[in-house]
Amino acid sequence: MQLTNYPWKFIWRFLLQKLLHLFLLLLAVSVLTFVLVSLSPVNPIDAYIGSDVMRVGAEQRALIAQRWGLDQPMTTRFFLWLGQLLQGNLGTSITYNQLVSEVIGDRFGASLALMAIAWLLSGFFGVILGILAGAKEGSLLDRIIRLYAYTLASAPTFWIALLLLTVFSVKLQVTPICCASPPGVLLQDVTIWQRLQHLILPALALSLMGVANIALHTREKLIEILHSNYALFACAQGETITGIIWHHGLRNVALPAITLQFASLSELFGGSVLAEKVFDYPGLGNATTQAALRSDVPLLVGIVFFSALFVFTGNLMADLAYQVIDPRIRIGKSAS
Amino acid sequence: MKLPNVLPALQNFRPKSTLTLGNRRGQTLAIAIISILILGILLFSRQIIGSSGLEIALPERNLPPSLSHLFGTDWLGRDMLTRTLHGLSFSLWVGLLTASISAVIGLVVGILSATFGGKVDAFIIWIIDVFFSLPHLVLIILVAFAAGGGTQGLIISITLTHWFNLARLLRAEVLGIKSSEYIQVSSKLGHSPVWIARHHMLPHLVPQFLVGLVLLFPHAILHEAGLTFLGLGLSPETPAIGIILSESMRYLSVGYWWLGIFPGIALLMAVQTFDILGASLRTLIDPKTSQG
Amino acid sequence: MIFPKIKKLNIVFRHCLGGVLLLQSLTACSSTSPNFTAAGAISKSKDEIVVALGWDDFDDRGFDPTLGWNYYGPPLFQSTLLRRNEKLELVNDLAQSYSISSDRKIWTFTIRQNVRFSDGQPLTAEDVAYTFNQTKQSGGLVDLTMLDKVVVKSQYKIELHLKRPQITFINQTASLGIVPKHAHNKDYFKKPIGSGPYRLVQWNRGQQLIIEANPDYYGTPPAIKRLVFLFTQEDATFAAAKAGRVQIARIPSSLAVQQIAGMKLYARSSDGHAGLMFPFVPNTGKKTPKGDPIGNNVTADRAIRQAVNYAINRQFLVDNILEGYGSPAYTPVSGMSWEEPNAVIKDANANKAKQILAAAGWRDRNSDGILEKQGQKAEFSILYPAQDTIRQGLALAVAQMLKPIGIQANVEGKSWKEIATRMHSDAVVYVLGTYDPMVIYNLYHSSARLGGWQNPGYYANSAVDSMLDQGMASALETEASLFWKKAQWDNQTGITTKGDAASAWLVSPDQTYFVSTCLDIGKLQSQDRNYNGSILANITAWKWTCN
Repeated sequence: MQLTNYPWKFIWRFLLQKLLHLFLLLLAVSVLTFVLVSLSPVNPIDAYIGSDVMRVGAEQRALIAQRWGLDQPMTTRFFLWLGQLLQGNLGTSITYNQLVSEVIGDRFGASLALMAIAWLLSGFFGVILGILAGAKEGSLLDRIIRLYAYTLASAPTFWIALLLLTVFSVKLQVTPICCASPPGVLLQDVTIWQRLQHLILPALALSLMGVANIALHTREKLIEILHSNYALFACAQGETITGIIWHHGLRNVALPAITLQFASLSELFGGSVLAEKVFDYPGLGNATTQAALRSDVPLLVGIVFFSALFVFTGNLMADLAYQVIDPRIRIGKSAS
Repeated sequence: MKLPNVLPALQNFRPKSTLTLGNRRGQTLAIAIISILILGILLFSRQIIGSSGLEIALPERNLPPSLSHLFGTDWLGRDMLTRTLHGLSFSLWVGLLTASISAVIGLVVGILSATFGGKVDAFIIWIIDVFFSLPHLVLIILVAFAAGGGTQGLIISITLTHWFNLARLLRAEVLGIKSSEYIQVSSKLGHSPVWIARHHMLPHLVPQFLVGLVLLFPHAILHEAGLTFLGLGLSPETPAIGIILSESMRYLSVGYWWLGIFPGIALLMAVQTFDILGASLRTLIDPKTSQG
Repeated sequence: MIFPKIKKLNIVFRHCLGGVLLLQSLTACSSTSPNFTAAGAISKSKDEIVVALGWDDFDDRGFDPTLGWNYYGPPLFQSTLLRRNEKLELVNDLAQSYSISSDRKIWTFTIRQNVRFSDGQPLTAEDVAYTFNQTKQSGGLVDLTMLDKVVVKSQYKIELHLKRPQITFINQTASLGIVPKHAHNKDYFKKPIGSGPYRLVQWNRGQQLIIEANPDYYGTPPAIKRLVFLFTQEDATFAAAKAGRVQIARIPSSLAVQQIAGMKLYARSSDGHAGLMFPFVPNTGKKTPKGDPIGNNVTADRAIRQAVNYAINRQFLVDNILEGYGSPAYTPVSGMSWEEPNAVIKDANANKAKQILAAAGWRDRNSDGILEKQGQKAEFSILYPAQDTIRQGLALAVAQMLKPIGIQANVEGKSWKEIATRMHSDAVVYVLGTYDPMVIYNLYHSSARLGGWQNPGYYANSAVDSMLDQGMASALETEASLFWKKAQWDNQTGITTKGDAASAWLVSPDQTYFVSTCLDIGKLQSQDRNYNGSILANITAWKWTCN
């Protein structure tokens, strides 16, 4: 691969286009989100006070409303928020009494670790299972894998998580029952292995949904490849099935697998909301649930905004990967 | 060389009905019918079983599964089998209702978008893209929150967030048909767009719509269960599966495993049945893959 | 050609690269050796213990007293003017002495000298003044609207001026931690500097709080030098206790029936009371300022409310919903020294309930099992906050007990928002801590009928009002006690069953904890349950007794 031939120009133009797209998208998302949450008739003051309702009088409640700017009309609040956003300030969360950007920053790392492991697991096992099923189409192995995949695809993520929790943490007691690190240990003393130990079960639960999808798609794609002309040709020339898969199958399966993987980031984020609740994992998903339960508008808006960014990045990477990996696009561009 | 004597075989030839279990089509049909029956029973289980098991019976609380309580009892003494069936039935109905309305929205939007084309089409596509740019569950949570939370928020949210895929699919279908020759000929022959829509497009779309609708149910049901599980949906006196599962978490480490395992399996089987039904329907009526 | 190899390896590399990056990111945030043994148990000693309490509410908000950090007990990092001792009596803490003026509106405190904050600065009356002023205007959870102004008389003397006499103000002085004026800002809640017995070491939101003893503390130094507080859900708390990872675990009563090796169950009676608040007035179409309907024609009938009180079997509720960990409550202050003993009734008396209803004209005319009177069915709704199982259990059990006497109670679990709009026209299960008589005032005084959470039933009784007013204007708590008792039942009228039966108080749940057998957390409270707040009230006296 010679770098001088590489279509850097196209990559830059492509990125700029995408940035513009991103900007418009984020604007649309923020307007939509803000309008939606402002329509909500929930009273955030009550959420803030919680169980102390009896000790807080009416005067005090008015004071609380004033402090959080909750007594202004919606449009004022939106422009206040937009102004703050452009300065990099996403507002303050009522629930955590912290800047929204800090809440997201604190928790994103944890969620990212969780999603990354789940992503890797689902990709790895999904592709392997799919290839196995596709290679042995019609056999018992294929049927077992397909049954497993179909069942998993229609299972509720949170219930699978609950099942795993019951079996591994309660009955067998090999994994911890919750949280991101062992209780009572200072943050700086927590080792990688402890973190991994706490991550493994949630990541497994999260990945199982993706495994099913990727396995099924990979299987279909591989079957298609194995029935294609060039595979037939290779077979006629004496190539074994394994050889066909290794030389032709993998690279052709790669493209749809990668696209699917990156597209699954959106599903992953959604799944993490459920998985984090089951495992009491302090990540972004848990923050989303809390924000919705406590009517914490700034936090909810901030998280939605951030998740749009996240999904967009995923799709962008998929598109970029396409540009780089698919020879038709890459060679086509450098040739023109 | 003797030619094979085919005459006797030909004389014995009688066209077999396609509706037997011997062939794949028959089998698929049988599966579809069984699925519908199972789902029917689940949907109407509330009427079939009645609500006698829902009464609290405190002296009988926290019993593991036994002959008198197949799924055990919960912490208030309520029979888990009855609760699960009620909850499942309720969740299925909510899922059915919201998915149906959502599918209709998808149909309308898809057709309108493809029919009008131009700016309207571009705008609708862009809106759908915006919705797709958020993780689905986050969008559902957002809309549920905006719609006021609770039962009403949940139903409104699921209804308004599940039409995108179907709309895109049907739009693609209509676009594909619109430019085909027989439509153009038909329109040149003087038929109005409405006539064309009814006689040419609808038969094309109906199978896709039906399959899409049936396959939408499991998504709606799972999302409803998920949202209720998080605490953002139905209130706890409506025995829905999500609530049953969320409440079961409280007793996990104490060892009352039956509170969460059985309802989850029931939900899994119901959703699985829908998926099977949808796949069977697709095999039966989708013109592209049909065996009929 | 290099292409095929690269593409083939792409998938493998993708995953390997991802794995390596991940590993790096995890390494970046951690360091050397683990802090505990292979089995996962944290070895505990007399110097450090792990506690799991239900602190979620405060965990998220931080440790700023001016915003509400006091949890009905000692704000661990700050000192208060007064505090409660092991016998839960009010004693001086920061204050050396105090006096109340004759018009009961001016409270004068003299504070002790030579107290230092954890950053070395001295604590003076300026800090006290700042704390009270800041709290009043901060829009947090502490309601100091009764405070008029604060006057600093000298370096160690301060006057607190109230707008009107209020004996319950003493509870505020016992719970408001003093913050340093020079070090208080928006970030104070995560880095609290105070003069209390403990210092904040580390706080991981939603996970844990680590504190250690303050070496400069002016009082008795605590025996346990380090504490780790965990904020885990009930279920996870129980699991952690079973695994030996926590030494004190607060668990719901439903889990209290379990056994854990090495731990004993500690049931602590608390000031929490659960009861049904009834709408007191009939529905005449009136609405609150927010537009919510007021009144319920069924519960407005005193006979119904009294019948409900008599029909309920409170001991059954305690035994089956609280697993025996609690006590029946007939008044909102049962267990306190100012409960009126004559207000207690013999409940579980369905016959008496039926008699009361019949005498008031309720009959079952159409044999459907539900009584009617003047065309009105004896039917009403009981609301509870959706996520609370104890209240759900209580509501459902009560409804079941009312059926045989002909009252149909429909139980509904709703969000706080919906309860807020319906609480003036439907019965609601209230659970609150009532050690502070201000709560009683806010529940039953006619001036508290503001369309909010206080006095939701729009109860009004001028005799009761006058009792409550006189109580508030008393000079001493003992004097006030007499009036609180009269407000409950003075042989003629009152808020309890024999009088107006404004509510149906049900139970007072115990707080149930599993405590390690090696930990001595002081004696169980004395017979006279004067004040039952947090288990942390005597935290400085805890001792580790094993080796």
